[in-house]
Amino acid sequence: MNTQTFPNSNSGPSHLADAPAEDRLAFAITEVARQFPDRTAIVAGAGGEASRTIDYATLAAAIATLEAALDLVRPVGIIARAKRTESLVVIAAACGRQHVPVAFLAEDSRDLIGELRDWVTVDDSLVLVANPAAQRREFEAVATHVVVATSGTSGPPKLVEHSWDSLLAAARLAEQWHGLGWILVYDATRWAGIQVWLQSLLTGGRLVVPASRDPDVVLRAIVAEQATVLPATPTLLRRLLTSADRSLLAKARLERITLGGEAADKPLLEQAGAAFAGAKITQVYATTELGEVFRITDGLAGFPVNWLGRSLAGGARLGMRRDGELLVQLSRDSAEVATGDLIEKRGDRYEFTGRRSDVIVVGGAKVLPRRVEELLREVPGIVDARAYGMPSAITGELVAAEVVLADPLPAGSTPESIRAGALAACRSGLEPHGVPRILDIVKKIATNPAGKVPRRQS
Amino acid sequence: MSFLSDSTGAAIVAAIGQVLHDTGRTVDAVEPQMLLAADLGLDSLDLAQTIVLLERSLGVDPFRAPPAGSTRPAIRTVADLVGIYSQGLSDRPVQRLP
Repeated sequence: MNTQTFPNSNSGPSHLADAPAEDRLAFAITEVARQFPDRTAIVAGAGGEASRTIDYATLAAAIATLEAALDLVRPVGIIARAKRTESLVVIAAACGRQHVPVAFLAEDSRDLIGELRDWVTVDDSLVLVANPAAQRREFEAVATHVVVATSGTSGPPKLVEHSWDSLLAAARLAEQWHGLGWILVYDATRWAGIQVWLQSLLTGGRLVVPASRDPDVVLRAIVAEQATVLPATPTLLRRLLTSADRSLLAKARLERITLGGEAADKPLLEQAGAAFAGAKITQVYATTELGEVFRITDGLAGFPVNWLGRSLAGGARLGMRRDGELLVQLSRDSAEVATGDLIEKRGDRYEFTGRRSDVIVVGGAKVLPRRVEELLREVPGIVDARAYGMPSAITGELVAAEVVLADPLPAGSTPESIRAGALAACRSGLEPHGVPRILDIVKKIATNPAGKVPRRQS
Repeated sequence: MSFLSDSTGAAIVAAIGQVLHDTGRTVDAVEPQMLLAADLGLDSLDLAQTIVLLERSLGVDPFRAPPAGSTRPAIRTVADLVGIYSQGLSDRPVQRLP
């Protein structure tokens, strides 16, 4: 692994942080390119048949070319419609420094393009087509914004404007974060994915983009390109741990796993700790409205009981509604916000039991799908599970579940015997209405575009 | 018994059998005149599961969108269930699942 620091101690992070937020990405890439032109910036298609390596000099040159074109045309905004991650990076960096608003539209939000009137599309060719009739937006000193589509987990996707400041707020610029190898398992056009490539390229790192999300491909990419940092949702991590080739898993040398987007449960954290010995597991608690609220670095599920009612390091204050919903007050002057996350005291921790909106209501009785999943995953022969609500004309909803079986199956068992065992385990561990009425055996658990588990039948 | 041996009847018998099996119960035989609740012990959850299983095997859920203006007859026996599914299958173009 390349451990050179970026760029060097006196032109490093303090200098970088001095630059206006919208300039920072282009600035950082250009600086690394100047000092270490051959350093790998992005490995695309990693773990697949044909991977491509893009160095910092190439990236910086592409940014400069696009910046010149933007300066000439001065479009009102740019829609980044590229499939390649390196193109998204170039477009973002060039638009930032040229004070041109830029929009990232994921596949499922392409319909929203009509809202961006007169914006110009740039694809993987990185060519800006000048239309003489098009409206111009002259360079202004005021900061521009970045438009990102929401993932549509709670409602249809919509376009949200972010400032460059908020986009970069979570980036870690301290020296310990420099020159690391980051694996991108998120969609590069969504908030979480954008955060990963920004983080990597702001700190002279190597961004490893797997050829697909297939667990084996992701692990081959991690091993071949020596990625050491894995930002992922618990769902994506679980899929890696349960579905990927054992021998590949043993070869991955992850040093950091940053989990976000969903709460991780104890068995997953233990499994990850065992599979990636020595890896530091950080759980980031953030919401769309509040941004990052706190981080858990002790590798345990939930957060310490004594955090409730006290001001945390970042100034946030946690509270709990009588029904178990976590409340967050970011600062003394701000209002308390209901997070939609349900917590429950277990020993000396508050653990997350699910999203309020995930609760399945069966004939008026509430069922937490995470509880059902936890029970199913403990059944011998089952490696992963998803519980969700299925609409019913009789009871409103029914608990349905999907399970992934171990491969090979435990000695002496059959899919039928495991299914019967799972139902028996649920009958003894759950209230009658919580027992899955539909239990299907599937090859893999479905995830939504944000890398989370969907809780409703689509 | 011929009543339950057509494909709709057979699917209903199979669905009820699976519901009972999944919930750790057994039944010797399912007969048309049997009462769903009293004879077979099916509660509302069991019925809801039966309906999902039948939507999968027959491709229709007559409970989801009852025909406009119709009053649904009470579903008390296995025969009632066969009747409503036979009706549901003839009312609409059949969307059989593969």
